[in-house]
Amino acid sequence: METIFKIESLNLYYDKYHALKNIDLDIYKNKVTALIGPSGCGKSTFIRCLNRMNDLIEESKVDGTILFHDEQVQNPSYDVIGLRKKVGMVFQKPNPFPMSVFDNVAYGPRQQGVKDKKVLKQIVERALKQAALYDEVADRLNSSALKLSGGQQQRLCIARALAMEPEVILMDEPTSALDPIATQKIEDLISDLKNEYTIVIVTHSMQQAARISDFTAFFLLGELKEFDATERLFVSPKLKETEDYITGRFG
Amino acid sequence: MIKRKITEILLNGSVLFATAISILALGMIFFYVIKEGADLLSWNLIRGNYHARNYVAVLDPSFQDDTFDMPDFEDEDVYVSYRYGIALKQSRNLAGDGVIKVAYVAEGSPFTAMINQDQTKEMIAIDKDWVLSRITYLEHPSSLTSKGAASMIQDLEDPQREIFEVMFAKEGGGIYGSLITTLYLIFLTLIIALPFGILTAIYFNEFAAKNRWTKTMRSFIETLTGVPSIIFGLLGITVFVPLTMRLTPASGSNLIAGALTLTVILLPVIIRTTEEALRVIPDDHRFASLALGANKTQTTFKVVLPQAVPGILTATFLGIGRIIGESAALIFVLGAAIKDTVNIYRPSTSLAVHIWSMMTDEPPNVALSSTIALIILLIVLILNVSIKWIVSRFYTKGS
Repeated sequence: METIFKIESLNLYYDKYHALKNIDLDIYKNKVTALIGPSGCGKSTFIRCLNRMNDLIEESKVDGTILFHDEQVQNPSYDVIGLRKKVGMVFQKPNPFPMSVFDNVAYGPRQQGVKDKKVLKQIVERALKQAALYDEVADRLNSSALKLSGGQQQRLCIARALAMEPEVILMDEPTSALDPIATQKIEDLISDLKNEYTIVIVTHSMQQAARISDFTAFFLLGELKEFDATERLFVSPKLKETEDYITGRFG
Repeated sequence: MIKRKITEILLNGSVLFATAISILALGMIFFYVIKEGADLLSWNLIRGNYHARNYVAVLDPSFQDDTFDMPDFEDEDVYVSYRYGIALKQSRNLAGDGVIKVAYVAEGSPFTAMINQDQTKEMIAIDKDWVLSRITYLEHPSSLTSKGAASMIQDLEDPQREIFEVMFAKEGGGIYGSLITTLYLIFLTLIIALPFGILTAIYFNEFAAKNRWTKTMRSFIETLTGVPSIIFGLLGITVFVPLTMRLTPASGSNLIAGALTLTVILLPVIIRTTEEALRVIPDDHRFASLALGANKTQTTFKVVLPQAVPGILTATFLGIGRIIGESAALIFVLGAAIKDTVNIYRPSTSLAVHIWSMMTDEPPNVALSSTIALIILLIVLILNVSIKWIVSRFYTKGS
């Protein structure tokens, strides 16, 4: 298995609060890695380190090593924009821009200077098809994205990320604001996408992690407690805390 | 239990009472302005010059005494001279003062072939609705406006009298010049204030670090929104008037200095309103854009700014309101002399200063002031409705 992200002794502080403690973790290529753990355990903070979105939080301070294709992401001279092009992100709440469906998906490529209408059309079509949304919106590409249902909006956000042709897609609880049917569709989509993309997903639902992921990392109070292949972690956890959490004794 | 009920009745009662009083007070402004101002409201007032153009002329000496066929006038206030082929009526000018106006001129009337007594000595004809202010006769006392139209006709019909000179005027009292000045001010001020204000707001909300310095600057700007405009007028007369005198052909108070002063008055309003609009845009959209590899500038101008457009339109509307309503600062910077032809390098008056000028007349012209107030209300109303319309269209397009 090829490692795409290699994280070594990663520490993150919000001002004085020690949010991530000594994390060592490998993310494997073309696999789905799920991050689970109770609220406030640092899993969302961790995922935002991978595309350096934590930069936007003024008091945050990171040390340790995050290697993406063997390059130190935390280096001040590292090309953040290039990183974010290769590592896409889908947020907890569907957040399409108040533009048309087409413009939403075309937004990323346009900012990189793609102007040719034909090329843009191809990109948008491909991304929407990959996100299993094309059939539902083909006849209203030019109407507002905000008119779509919540589940469609979230798939649109996935399509928007896919339009950049990333290698990795980070998903921060992508289904927590959706109903069960929309959730089901997103989960199916994730299983399809993992052939071409590496996916890191933060989830609150153990069932979801069990259903869709290949590897699972269990976070607790800023520490990475346990990391293993999903089947092994759910069937025979090594630690008491992990077992308590996945059996629902706390959370 | 009963005590609570009484408290509730009192509270609800005061809510209703306060609302009723507020609506009554605000409604009275409309009522008063419409009642006092509607009479004089006319297209001629809006299109007309303020200064009457006065003429002095003599009748063409070749004219022969004649009797003209005159139509019948139903109006009681119209008086007819068959000898001169002219009908006069007692009327009011645009500003509401009593004048004698021409109601009808027959073809071939001597009043249609007079010789202008200025250097040109051109032929000049009096026309319907012009104002006859005085007719002088050889060896007889003059007919004056103050004696009324009936007396003037009586004098004209008197075969003993021979006309020496006629003084007449194209009607004045209109507000055209002030209206144009106001439109110029709106245009010039917004074209400077909007870009500066919007970009400053973007800096404060999107780019500035959230530190003491930013906070201080912010509260400084906030303070300026509450400063009386006459203080900005002082700034205008000490800075902008000399500046424009140096850089432009202006030789004193002028419209550009007025617009610059208004720009400074407007900036805090525009900055604050735009910032408010930027602040309510969810960070989700900024994050989404940044996570797609867009940089800060792209995020700000492609995702954030378009969503702030309704707020910016509101800022524009508030700005226009301030421009139309401003008088104190403009009296210093733009002058108080009403002009009919507007030149951006010269003094003129806005509608609000026009009102000020009418009310400082002796006696104050309340009726005309109310009419101008009515016109201002109409302009603001039209702007308000059209901006609401644009905003609603914008929102339906985005959502």
